[in-house]
Amino acid sequence: MSQTFEPKILAFLCNWCAYAGADLAGVSRFQYPSTIRVIRTMCSGRVDPSHVVEGLKSGFDGVFVFG
Amino acid sequence: MHVVSQLLELAGIGRDRMQLRWVSAAEGQLFADFVKELSSLIGEKGGFDPNEYQLKLAAVEGALNSPRLRWLLGMDRQLTERENVYHQKVDDKLYKELLERATEEEYQKSLILEVLRDGPQSVREIAEKSGLQIYAVSQLLSEIEKAGLVDLHGYEGTTPKFIRLAA
Repeated sequence: MSQTFEPKILAFLCNWCAYAGADLAGVSRFQYPSTIRVIRTMCSGRVDPSHVVEGLKSGFDGVFVFG
Repeated sequence: MHVVSQLLELAGIGRDRMQLRWVSAAEGQLFADFVKELSSLIGEKGGFDPNEYQLKLAAVEGALNSPRLRWLLGMDRQLTERENVYHQKVDDKLYKELLERATEEEYQKSLILEVLRDGPQSVREIAEKSGLQIYAVSQLLSEIEKAGLVDLHGYEGTTPKFIRLAA
């Protein structure tokens, strides 16, 4: 296991913006690292601060919010 | 989000671990770039061990759920862009300073409450476990006591011991 460290990251994506953006990135075959675990929210305003804390508590190395 | 990153910084977790970015539906490339950039940023910071920060994460959560911060965050626009009940508009900068101070205080209070979960303790013990100054602890403690969240439990010798009340 001499691989470089790969972080585990929780990502909240807005259904209307970033989720579609991520979809587009996939369809257009843009390469990006497979570090993120996505949760789709109906709006990035739906993400409560406590969700961020909860994510860190459950062992994620970082939390992203894309809106 | 400002408050959350300030809290993470206070807790020693580092504000970098939470990131907010705007990506529209048409910006697939931008999304890929952000993920690449931010992943390497987190990668550099290394792994995060939640057990190590258990106490502090709980304190951050407690602070975020405190009525005072919730209220301040909810009233932000109302007070800085419209007016308060006395028809005064609050200065943006002043509001931000107030919010920052409140955030720090609420974090410290919440930290004390978390420490007190382990049973009755003296001011000195609380200060040691929370890493706060003894003077700050005693001041905050009296404030929390007024709010009815902690109480004097009794004396061990001449040392007063405090206990956390329900919740």
